[in-house]
Amino acid sequence: MALMPKRVKYRKYQRGRIKGNATRGNFVSFGEFGLQSLGPGRISGRQIEAGRVAATHFLHREGKVFIRIFPHRSVSSKPLETRMGKGKGEPDYWVAHIKPGTIIYEIGGVPEDVARAALNRVAHKMPVRCRFVKRRHVG
Amino acid sequence: MTETLVLKAEGRDKTGTREARRLRSRGKVPVIIYGHKQEPVSAALNYHDLALELQHHHRLLGVELNGKTEQFLVKDVQYDYLGDTIIHVDLARVNLDERVQVMVEVVLKGIPEGVHEGGVLAQLLTEVELECKVTSIPEQVRANIVHLKAGESLTAGELELPEMVSLVSDAKAPVAIVRVKSEEAAEEAVEEAEAPETAEPEMIAREKTEE
Repeated sequence: MALMPKRVKYRKYQRGRIKGNATRGNFVSFGEFGLQSLGPGRISGRQIEAGRVAATHFLHREGKVFIRIFPHRSVSSKPLETRMGKGKGEPDYWVAHIKPGTIIYEIGGVPEDVARAALNRVAHKMPVRCRFVKRRHVG
Repeated sequence: MTETLVLKAEGRDKTGTREARRLRSRGKVPVIIYGHKQEPVSAALNYHDLALELQHHHRLLGVELNGKTEQFLVKDVQYDYLGDTIIHVDLARVNLDERVQVMVEVVLKGIPEGVHEGGVLAQLLTEVELECKVTSIPEQVRANIVHLKAGESLTAGELELPEMVSLVSDAKAPVAIVRVKSEEAAEEAVEEAEAPETAEPEMIAREKTEE
């Protein structure tokens, strides 16, 4: 089941632009390894779910996968064979706006080579360029 | 602790974003030095030397400022949005016989017995706060977890610390736990069951108007 909000204040959003870099959620804080986006983009609920499934299947229920993003914004679309006009389309799917530097997934409880292989599979399902990162410890 | 370099710092009068950016473009890192109830001093360090010191996990830096060499404790390091480049460092004045509170990494050693029985190891705490002398800050705390069986956990109080080092973090806080696999599967099943199945989310605004 793709991720989507339970309650929202507004059903429809304007597209907007993704400007700047991530100043929050840009370091690994739950697991030991993470997948960091290198560019801006919109990741849909289905893509997030596809990434989670890819990671958990590869890990065979070992370790833990953390999803650090959530699709808060709706994307509307018009039905097929409809003339233009007659107002904005209905919400079609939900997306997370991603800025460069955002940690998308984290993995903990597995060795580095396993986490790297799992997140490599996840990265192929993402619409943005990603890289593997490790938790930075103090000192 | 291994030998540290003495970093040459240059004082800086101008502060602010623009000045800091100019410094970084010249291969320097803006630094603030504070502590011991003295006036804070703004300075700049060579990026390469500083990065090398931090890469070697050195907490105590020897810094030469205005012809005087002193030891400073690294309090905070700020990185850029990708977490690659150092953009600012906080240094604290310390006496070498002073006891300080610092965060130290916890490293788990060995594979627990419980994992061989089918459990899943989870590390809940990756850093603990310790109090120790400035000159003897441990690089990491190693925890042997081979004896942990399924369902058992290791708490922060059970960590073996070096001499003259005491724990500041909650001693009851679990560092590592070996979970039984069925519990993990049950948790995931609950999460999936809780997932909303409606095609459209509930409206907050609409509820208010009805009231």
